[in-house]
Amino acid sequence: MAENWTLNVAPGAANDPVFVGVGEIRTGKFPDRSFIEALTKVAILALRDAGMVPRDIDTILLIPNLHSAADQADLVFSRMVEELGIHGSCKASYMVHSGGSTSDNAVRAAHGLITAGHAQNVLVLQCERWGSADLNEMITMLSKNGIPGEWELPTGIQFNAIGAMITRRYMHASGSTAEDMASICVTLRKWANLNENAMFYEKPLTVERILASQMVADPLHAFECPPMADGACAFVVTSTENAKKRGIGNAVRLAGSGGCVSHYCLSQEPDQAVLGWPLAAERAWNQSGWGPQDADILEIYDSYAAVTAIALEGIGIAPKGDGARWIAAGNGDPGGKLPLNTNGGLLSAGHTGVGGGTALLVEGIRQLLHRAPSSRQVEDCQRAIIGGTGGSYMDAQILLLERTKLGA
Amino acid sequence: MTTPKIVSEFRAGLASGELLIQNCNACGKPNMWPRYACPHCQSEDLGWVSSAGKGTLHSFCVLRQGAPEGFEADLPYAIGVVKLDEGVQLGVRLEPHGDEDWSAYQCDDRVEFAGKDDGRECAVFRRAQG
Repeated sequence: MAENWTLNVAPGAANDPVFVGVGEIRTGKFPDRSFIEALTKVAILALRDAGMVPRDIDTILLIPNLHSAADQADLVFSRMVEELGIHGSCKASYMVHSGGSTSDNAVRAAHGLITAGHAQNVLVLQCERWGSADLNEMITMLSKNGIPGEWELPTGIQFNAIGAMITRRYMHASGSTAEDMASICVTLRKWANLNENAMFYEKPLTVERILASQMVADPLHAFECPPMADGACAFVVTSTENAKKRGIGNAVRLAGSGGCVSHYCLSQEPDQAVLGWPLAAERAWNQSGWGPQDADILEIYDSYAAVTAIALEGIGIAPKGDGARWIAAGNGDPGGKLPLNTNGGLLSAGHTGVGGGTALLVEGIRQLLHRAPSSRQVEDCQRAIIGGTGGSYMDAQILLLERTKLGA
Repeated sequence: MTTPKIVSEFRAGLASGELLIQNCNACGKPNMWPRYACPHCQSEDLGWVSSAGKGTLHSFCVLRQGAPEGFEADLPYAIGVVKLDEGVQLGVRLEPHGDEDWSAYQCDDRVEFAGKDDGRECAVFRRAQG
């Protein structure tokens, strides 16, 4: 039974935090695009979208990268403050990190900072260069992240093995078929085909092609494994008062959130076909008064199809056991009942490490701001459920975002 | 850094054909993976009990490509999560039935401890006999 925590800020109050701008560049393999170059581009794009200039930003929250410790050090030691020319005026620049769920926790951090008065205008920045990194190095690095070196590394476990075990348990528990699981990837590809920034924008995908691709980690085929990509995105959060002063008419606010950290290493998860989603959802509903029926779109972490199917069941979008079949039936497709991962998700827009969840969040904000290209803008989009998870699916994080009219 | 005692003792057990479970001498509860303080009562008075080695297979996979560095020669190999009857869980390797064949395994199969992996510091399980 979840406790009942309310947010300590009223909707529309002066200190109610609002999202006012997003920036993103193309996801894929871009070896000639430098890390700092990409971060600078998305920072400026997000600021322009928010009607701001770098000097307006007092706090930078950094989403980590996983490709390079040296680039991470550049982030941690405030390089972006100098690159944006706000050294001297910027109050704080620091990193938030919980792997794939970082963006959800960065939102909580920005929300708390603004609500409490520690920050006025927060810029959240993310860049990853997984697509250009050495694949074998990344596989080895990921066999040491979220996996205890002394206990489980000796089994030879790595990220696709983790995804495969969750997929197998989910298929066993739900009776979902290989075709059902592959259909989820096809739904994501349909959305990616509408997103010029997606890694696979121009490449269609079918269930037949997925099932004919090589077996990587039974039951996962090659085309069911996340494509490692370079990508960057950013967003701006400010207070309702500041947004009004700036003449911003429509913004996006946080109606509530819920989370559950259910394990560190996958072997300690009580049920791989459930994970932390039911408790995270209960907490989110308690905090917001929302239910699963209130969303116009879903942006749910999808490094593997089963991860999203499990989340949909835990959140209550699909009945228990029907998550994969709900997606396979086309409910989340473009034009479907409840659009799912409208940027193409990690599986088709590209897996940018910690950034995959950030890209889904940014897409959710973009949809709620009604600033997605017309080909994929969901009509009258008012409310979004954002779902994230990090490590070896150690946590389930839910953000409930809603469009709000500021009356400026 | 030297290997922590809880790790070397667990591995010594494996090497002698024994699957050890950490057990709290204060509250009597089993812990896996072994911890530095009991997660139930925070006692540091921790010992070991020998597992009966029986359990159910929660899930598993067969990794065929993309092994971490140093594991390339092991491919393909099967990794599973076993829920031991003692109430704790652990990650293991699964024994093939024949040559690189794990097709008879299913989730929730009864499995048993088959010993330490030949080259790795981990337990190997197989389908329960009889």
